[in-house]
Amino acid sequence: MASSQHVLLSPAELAYLHASLSLTPPIRPDGRSPTQFRPLVAETGILPGTNGSARICFADGTEAIVGVKAEVERTRTRHDFPSLDESAEDDDDLDDNQNDVVKGDNDWVEMTVEIPGYRDDDAGTVFLSAMLSEALLADGEFTKRLWINQRFHWKLYLDILLISPPLSYPLPLLSLTTHLALLAARLPRLKSEGDEDPLFDDDWAAAPYLYPRPSEKGSKATAPAPAARPPVTLLVMAVGNNIIFDPSKEELAVADVALAVSVGESSSSTTTTTTSTTSSKPTAMDIDTEETKGHNLRLLSVRTIDPPSRLTPPGIPNASNSAYGANAGAKDTEKKKQQQEQARTAESEAVEGVWKAPRGGAKTLVMATMVQKVLEKGGVADEVLDALDGVDLN
Amino acid sequence: MPLDTSAYSLALLRVDGRRWNELRRIHAQIRTQAAADGSSYLEMGHTKVMCVINGPSEPGPRRGATSGGGGGGGQSKNAEVAVNIVIAGFSSVDRKRRGRGDKHILELQSTISQALAASLHTHLFPHSTINISLHVLSQDGSLLAALINAATLACVDAGIPMTDYVAACTAGSTSTYAANDEGADPLLDMNHQEEQELPGLTVATLGDSDRVAVLVCESRVQVSRLEGMLAVGVDGCKQVREILDRVVREKGIKMIQEGTVERGVGLNDMELD
Repeated sequence: MASSQHVLLSPAELAYLHASLSLTPPIRPDGRSPTQFRPLVAETGILPGTNGSARICFADGTEAIVGVKAEVERTRTRHDFPSLDESAEDDDDLDDNQNDVVKGDNDWVEMTVEIPGYRDDDAGTVFLSAMLSEALLADGEFTKRLWINQRFHWKLYLDILLISPPLSYPLPLLSLTTHLALLAARLPRLKSEGDEDPLFDDDWAAAPYLYPRPSEKGSKATAPAPAARPPVTLLVMAVGNNIIFDPSKEELAVADVALAVSVGESSSSTTTTTTSTTSSKPTAMDIDTEETKGHNLRLLSVRTIDPPSRLTPPGIPNASNSAYGANAGAKDTEKKKQQQEQARTAESEAVEGVWKAPRGGAKTLVMATMVQKVLEKGGVADEVLDALDGVDLN
Repeated sequence: MPLDTSAYSLALLRVDGRRWNELRRIHAQIRTQAAADGSSYLEMGHTKVMCVINGPSEPGPRRGATSGGGGGGGQSKNAEVAVNIVIAGFSSVDRKRRGRGDKHILELQSTISQALAASLHTHLFPHSTINISLHVLSQDGSLLAALINAATLACVDAGIPMTDYVAACTAGSTSTYAANDEGADPLLDMNHQEEQELPGLTVATLGDSDRVAVLVCESRVQVSRLEGMLAVGVDGCKQVREILDRVVREKGIKMIQEGTVERGVGLNDMELD
C-alpha cells in the first residue's frame, strides 16, 4: 500500500532530504512550514442522490469523493438489556418513557475505501478504512445519532473513493473528505412517534443535518449527543526532534516515526470524558462554546504507521540483510557473535551523505510532543477544523 | 414500477418529457484531474462518470487480474489497454455494492477495453500499459455509453493518438410486445426507468462514419425492430460525437488563450473568440 511504497530516490538524495528536514527550522522540499497543510479545494453536496457527499482536491492533484448513504434497518432485538437502575441514571429527564434509551451499535456504520489499482481486500486499504471508522466510532456518540426508535435505526454506508492515483499516503485526504461528507449529510425528518414504524417527511428542505449546525439552536437542543463535529485524522511524522504535519510521499520516505492522530471535538466546555449525561442541559453548554475561542479537542485514537523508511531499501545485498539470514554463515557461536557485532557497527556507523534507515523504536518524548502539537489550542487540528468550517455546506 | 407506455402513444412524449429522438443533457469536462495523464468528467442526464488515465507507461508489478485485457499483454508489440471500473456504492438509488469480480463489471471492462484498443494507436507504445480507471458516481441508464464517451475524452486529454472519437449512445424501442409491432417507435438515449421496461441496445461508432465499434444488446427484441433501433442509435452517436468534439475544442481554445499550450501551426484559421 501507499504507506510502504518505496520512493525512487538514491541514498544520497534521501540523506539530503533527511538532513534538511532535521534542521531547525526544518526545510521542506515544497517550502511549507512544518505545520502547514497542502492547499486544497473542497466542495460538498455534489451528488444529489446521496444523503451527503463531498469532494476534496489537494494541490498535488490527489482527489477523493465520499458519499454517505443511509437506509432504514430493523434493529435486532437484544437480550442484554442494561439493568434498570443504570438506565434511570442515564436519563432522569426522560422518565416518562424509561425504555427510551438512545444507544448505538458499531454495526450500523459500514465504511468502504476504494483505491484504484488496489484490491478492496488489500491490507493497506483495509487498514485505511479501519483507521477511519475507528476514529468515527471511538467515542460511541456517533452511532447514537443513527437511532430512530427501539425497533429501527439508520444504517449508514460511507463509500470513500480515491479518484486519482495514490501519489502520497491518502489518509489525511480521505479523512478530511469523510469529515465534510458527514457534515453535509442529512437524514429525512421523522414524522412518526415512539416505536411505530418510522414515517418520514418528504420535504428534503426540512431534513435535519446529521451533525446539527451551531446556528440552528432548536435542532441542537434536541440532538441526541453533544459532539459537534465528525473526527479528523491527521498524519504527523517526526524527523529527529522536528515534527512535521501532512508529509508528502518523499518526506514520509525519511520519517523516523509516523503517527495517525484522530481528533474529535466536543461542544461541551469540559474538555474530556464528557458523555451523554451532559445532553440534559444543552443550552448552557451552547453559550459556553460560543464564548470560548477555538475548539474543544479530544484525542480519539493514535496509530503508528510504518513509514517506508523502516523497510529494507532496495539494492541491499543479501549478505547484510538480516531478513535473508545475514549472519547465518558463522558456525561456532563465538565467531557468530563477533561477526554480528561487526555487522552492527558497520550498519550503525553513520556515513555523512548516505541514507541509513532509522533503527530502534521512536522516542516516547517525541511521540508525546507529536500528539500534544495536534491537540494544543491554536494548534494544527484547530486550524484544520477552522478551515473546514469555511467550506460552504449546501 | 410499471412504465406508463400507453401515455407515450397519446402524446408521443416519454416519461421525462423527451421526444423519441432527443438526447438527454450531456455535460462534459476534460482535464479535471491534475495528477493524472488524462482525465474527464461526463454527465449524460443523471448518469455521472469520471475517467482517469495513466500511461502509456511501463507496466508495474501485476496485482491480480484487474483488467479485461484488450490488445495484448505487457510484453507484446501493442500497448495493453487496462480498464478498471469502480461503481460507487452510492451511485444507484438503493445502495448495492458490487465486488471486484462482478461479472457485469468484468463485461463492461472488456467491452470498453476492446473498443478503445481498436481505435487507439496501440502499436506506437510497445511493452506498455494504458491504465484507464472509470468511476461511476451516479447511475441513471446508458451506463456503458457514458463510460465509453468518458474514456474517449480522457484518451484525447492524455494525448494518446487515436483514429477518431469513439462516441456511444443507447437506443430502445417502445412497447415490448410483438402485437404492437407497427406502432413501435425507436427511442434514443434511454434512462434507467426505460432500460428496466423496454428492449434496448448500446451502440458506439467511430467518429463521423457509420462504422459500428461496439454493439451490445442485453434484452429480447423483435428482429424487425433492430434495424430501426440501430439507425436511431448510430444517428445519436453522431450527435454525441459533435458534443464531445465541441468540449475538446473549447478546452483547447481555452488552453491556448491561457498560454498553457503554444499556438501550433495551422491553428491560426481557428476562430478564437
